[in-house]
Amino acid sequence: MILKMAIRNIFRNKRRSLVAALAISLGLTALIFVDAFQEGMIVNMVKSGTSTFMGEAQVHNSGFTNTMEVEKIIHDPLKIMDELSKEELVGSFTPRIKTLGMITSAGNVQSVLITGIDPQKEKALSKMDEALIEGEYLSDSSEKGIMIGQGLADILEVTVGDRLVITLAQAHTGEMAQEMMRVKGIFKLGTREFDRSMAFIPIERAGVMLGLEGAVHEIAVNFKDHKKTWDKNLPIWAKYSNNGNKFENWMLLMPEMDAMLSMSAYSKYIVGFILFLLVAGVIINTLFMSIYERMFEFGVIRAIGAKPFYTGALVVSESAVLAVMSTILGIISALLLNLIFSKVGIDYTGTEFMSVAMTELVYPVMTVEQYTSFPVSLIIFTMIVSIYPAWYAAKIKPAVAMKKGTK
Amino acid sequence: MDVIKVENVTRTYKTGEIEVHALRGVDLTITKGEFTAIAGPSGSGKTTLLNIIGGLDTPSGGDVLLGGKLISKMSGSELSNFRRDHVGFIFQSYNLIPVLTVAENIEFVMLLQDVDKKVRRQKVEEILGVIGLSGSADRLPSQLSGGQQQRVAVARAIVSEPDIILADEPTANLDSVTGSALLDMMRKLNEDKGITFIFSTHDKMIMERSKRLVMLHDGKIKSDEKR
Repeated sequence: MILKMAIRNIFRNKRRSLVAALAISLGLTALIFVDAFQEGMIVNMVKSGTSTFMGEAQVHNSGFTNTMEVEKIIHDPLKIMDELSKEELVGSFTPRIKTLGMITSAGNVQSVLITGIDPQKEKALSKMDEALIEGEYLSDSSEKGIMIGQGLADILEVTVGDRLVITLAQAHTGEMAQEMMRVKGIFKLGTREFDRSMAFIPIERAGVMLGLEGAVHEIAVNFKDHKKTWDKNLPIWAKYSNNGNKFENWMLLMPEMDAMLSMSAYSKYIVGFILFLLVAGVIINTLFMSIYERMFEFGVIRAIGAKPFYTGALVVSESAVLAVMSTILGIISALLLNLIFSKVGIDYTGTEFMSVAMTELVYPVMTVEQYTSFPVSLIIFTMIVSIYPAWYAAKIKPAVAMKKGTK
Repeated sequence: MDVIKVENVTRTYKTGEIEVHALRGVDLTITKGEFTAIAGPSGSGKTTLLNIIGGLDTPSGGDVLLGGKLISKMSGSELSNFRRDHVGFIFQSYNLIPVLTVAENIEFVMLLQDVDKKVRRQKVEEILGVIGLSGSADRLPSQLSGGQQQRVAVARAIVSEPDIILADEPTANLDSVTGSALLDMMRKLNEDKGITFIFSTHDKMIMERSKRLVMLHDGKIKSDEKR
């Protein structure tokens, strides 16, 4: 009977209930959509950050990433690459040599990160070839061509075909090595830092200049299934983390991105908390309006023998009915909104977040949690919030209520 | 047999600094089967006395015994049970629960008493016949006339077979014909089933047709006439 009365009471003042239900469902819609968008944003940032150049995982000498010392080369790179080529999880990989150096043009000089790449393997893993805006991509591993970012080209005041002198310190001896190269291509990766401070030369030339023929500083790896790279417990990480080498996924390579993921989880709870507070206000207001309006009725119900618990339970039931109604509305509208945006996407391309240039549209990512734990939490929260008005209703003294609510 | 015994009951309300003495030492005994009207001008304490007898309000002083039980000292929950099992209320403005149908309104008290569903349905059907609303079981109060609603209120009050029915100005919102018909019905229930009725009223018709008339004035019994 309580539930029956609660349902009918909610539909008694249709306009008020509808306004309250809309407000609550709007809160739930916003929560689900913001979460889906945030999930989509993270996936997009990770994809943009890894697919442009970095790769989803990398093998290094365990001391290399912190020091960038050119002597810290990967142990037994050929064996590693041979094994990687047989891995089920691995889609593609490419070796790189990395060193800091100077580039001098007729007009200027700039310190840069020089990366030696295997042009063909690099093409399969990164988007270097797609990022070219002028000139051509490197054709073989030994040519004397160089690819530089647009920002660097502007600083050095050079264009395709111009000559540059690369200066770097050789491994072991520290002797200066210089070589003249021609600008073969100019790229734009979209990240200011990348475009101003990176230069790419063939890996063999880089090895010769550093006195490290055949050596490798980095093996960038892409998995067949991107989602697998999120799993820190895969055995593959340990398998290649030995013999002085380490194999790390993007979370370890971009700790700032990992930190952002943790922060986004917190921000989800903060947004949820704020929205739930607003919902609490709406519910308390609606229930109290309803109680004051029906004061005489509550008095009568108590007068004819209902215990205080009964009137309290009636109020909690009404809030539960309102919450379920609102939740259904909220789920439907959030689903519609997410479906629409998962088709059309949200355009953040060209925007740079945390040194990652967004290269694709952001599509909201729907998760089971959004459509289960969020709505269930909202219903439970609504019922908890209704305890206060329920307590008020339970305390109603029949004689006083009937006097206050005299018709 | 005494159904109600009111002994030297006082009731004082405080409104800010002002004390209002609604009842100033009322003694009243009601025996089973009485059809009593408590009358008096506005502010004389009729409704307060009825509320105290029904356990809706507690006296400032004195005792109220119903069927030998001292109700003036009961807790809130005990009073709820007491009202549910021993008292039927009829209010001036009918006060049916608007979201419940006629049958559900009548059934409500029995539901609170945990009466078996089959028994509830049977009693509702029976009582609807008594009040002449057999065809209106599924209608909502808003679909009934004032007189019909008050008959449902009477049905709700008597269905659980309480010791006493307290009716607070039951004919005040009804026209004279409807009020008279309702009074006939209550009088018949009183005579046929021996149900005890106490009215608070201004209505001369009720005063004339009651078996006992208690006149209140300024919170005291001015006269008590049995017919």
